[in-house]
Amino acid sequence: MTRNQRNGLLFASPWLIGFAVFVAYPICASLFYSFCAWDAIRAPHWVGLQNYQRLFTEDDLFWKSLGNTMFMVIVGLPLGLAASLGIALLLNQKLRGMAFYRTLYYLPSITPVIASSILWLWLLNPEIGLVNIALMKAGITHPPAWLTDPAWSKPALVLMGLWGAGGGMVIYLAALQDVPTPLYEAASLDGANILQQFRHVTLPMLSPVILFNLIMGLIGSFQYFTQAYVMTNGGPEDSTTFYALHLFNRAFLDFKMGYASAMAWVLFVITLACAFLVFRSSARWVYYGGETR
Amino acid sequence: MRGDRLATVSTGKRVWRTLVRSLALSLTLPLALAGCGFARQGGPTEIVYWTGWSGHELEVLQGLVDEFNRTHSDVHVRMLTQFNTTGSYQKVRIAFAGGATPDVMSTVWDYELAAYAKRGVLEPLDGYLAKSGRDLDREYTPGVAKMVRVDGRVWGLTITTNTIFIAYNKALYRQAGLNPDSPPTTTDELDRAALACTQYDSSGRFVRYGFLPSSLSLWAYVFGGRWYDDLTGAVTANDPANVAALTWMASYRKRYDLRRVQAFQSTFGGESTANGPFFMGKIAMWQTGEWSEEFIRRYAPTLEWGWFALPAPPGGRRNTTSAGGSVFVIPAACRHKAAAWEFLNWMTSAKPVAEFCWSIKNVPPLIASGRDPRFQRDPLFRFAIGIQRGPNAFGAPPIAIWPTYRHEIDRVEESVMFGGADPKAQLDRLQANMTRELSRTREELRQ
Repeated sequence: MTRNQRNGLLFASPWLIGFAVFVAYPICASLFYSFCAWDAIRAPHWVGLQNYQRLFTEDDLFWKSLGNTMFMVIVGLPLGLAASLGIALLLNQKLRGMAFYRTLYYLPSITPVIASSILWLWLLNPEIGLVNIALMKAGITHPPAWLTDPAWSKPALVLMGLWGAGGGMVIYLAALQDVPTPLYEAASLDGANILQQFRHVTLPMLSPVILFNLIMGLIGSFQYFTQAYVMTNGGPEDSTTFYALHLFNRAFLDFKMGYASAMAWVLFVITLACAFLVFRSSARWVYYGGETR
Repeated sequence: MRGDRLATVSTGKRVWRTLVRSLALSLTLPLALAGCGFARQGGPTEIVYWTGWSGHELEVLQGLVDEFNRTHSDVHVRMLTQFNTTGSYQKVRIAFAGGATPDVMSTVWDYELAAYAKRGVLEPLDGYLAKSGRDLDREYTPGVAKMVRVDGRVWGLTITTNTIFIAYNKALYRQAGLNPDSPPTTTDELDRAALACTQYDSSGRFVRYGFLPSSLSLWAYVFGGRWYDDLTGAVTANDPANVAALTWMASYRKRYDLRRVQAFQSTFGGESTANGPFFMGKIAMWQTGEWSEEFIRRYAPTLEWGWFALPAPPGGRRNTTSAGGSVFVIPAACRHKAAAWEFLNWMTSAKPVAEFCWSIKNVPPLIASGRDPRFQRDPLFRFAIGIQRGPNAFGAPPIAIWPTYRHEIDRVEESVMFGGADPKAQLDRLQANMTRELSRTREELRQ
């Protein structure tokens, strides 16, 4: 090892130590604890696959919470991706005052989750919330009861998520500005209309960024927690008991750290499998500049 | 170049040393600061006390701690607030896990007491109580005296308890043609009054509803049921009286459209705020506790109101309430147990308890404190203390799974009240699940 290497490691050591102590060790420990009965107070003792077996065979809330979480992945995530791309396309026009609109759309995504959750609790209030007042003005006499109705609670959370689409939007916006103008010029000379340009120029050029947003969104959706914890605490009738919330309750309500660790590893495997599938498929739809097909 | 490299190396060494030092310091400092206090040479023993109270209640408590410190030269109490809006003291759990507990804490809820006691992280108090000549059963109201005992030993003491009753709006009673001077005493009368007070607007939406029962865990006792059998050590979730209680609660599904009730409820401000539904006349009857008297006085000073104990069905229990609150405990890992007890013993004596309870408007669990003229002059407190002293004040059952169990009871209640599930089937399922949980937890705790 040269001195430079050693010094480099030394300078990186605060992070390395932090990673080892606060990330790597807990991850490894949780794998061990997932095979233990452990209440975080007394010593853990080995129970083999019992936690996993109970999770799959006894815990009806496991399947329900997984289903709730899949709703956010399958419905919420694509909607969120489409919304942020749509807004980015609109805000990519060359118009006066565009910087102002960009700021406006980005602003919600920097609001702390807790604050925006409480705000949306009021917006989605079935009787006096602005959302339903607007719907009633628009002629819908029986608007949804949103967070108090098990059928509407998850769509309500998805709707709220769209409000924060600005985070994905800035990334798209940056990528949009990177699309070379000559490509559009060439396409229009070839007679491509605006939709064809979008389909054959914009989308392929954006595809790496879409992949990035998709993967990050996938991980985020599987870990959906804060909003449900703050706004509904899993209700009504478990309709917003997401996987992470179920895990949290088992750990801190039931003193079942081992069981919760097993849950975390199952979630990890599911997330990994989904991310893997997305990556595998990406060869077919993600275009990196300089590639030829 | 050579000189440069030398400089880099020596800088590197210095940086490394600084890093190691600061890391070591940053790791040890919290350890030194956290946990049990330390005795100064010659001075009083300093102990650390964690409280969950905040705001006005914390100020009152600080006054009492200051008084203790003034009058006790050998012990100095340093109080730290661990207020947590979600109400679950995760920090406490983690402190127990890491053995970094303070000397005294009141950040343990009554429903968690058995879970901690059975895991061996609390100091049993029987020896200290005997040494100080204290007699729990004579000093405390019966519900609380029972609640703090698990497996035959005392694990904590409380300085507050709460009596649950129903507050009613007398003007709305009169408007509905009810006699405000004879409130309901049976569940049938309660049901009739609830319907009489309910009003809809022309589009069928609620203007107000009379009453909606909540908290199955409590109403089960009113109907003569229970959740756990002390004698047999068995879960009794599907006790016929529990089923009857839930069936009665669910009968409100036929009286009101509960989806509309939920929508209506979502317009309510917080119960104890100026926009509270009882203060605004959106509900005629409010299942609440003695602490609300102060809020009614503050937010609805002109409201004409009264109160009555939870009405019971024939064969049920009259004057039923829950009992308990935050529990003061001494962790087993505490290093200054004698000093901790000295503080706890003083805090749970008649005068400080009366002082604290009166200031924050809670029912004192100590019988002697309840005799304080301030409480006795207040008719609501006379009533609330009387109920708390009766035989039907129920604390948390002494089982380690109670935190989970009560959460599951709430889920059953919700699935029946709002989801329309069958009461008997739900409680049978709960019975099976909790029986299994209890035997597994017992098994684990033996290991």
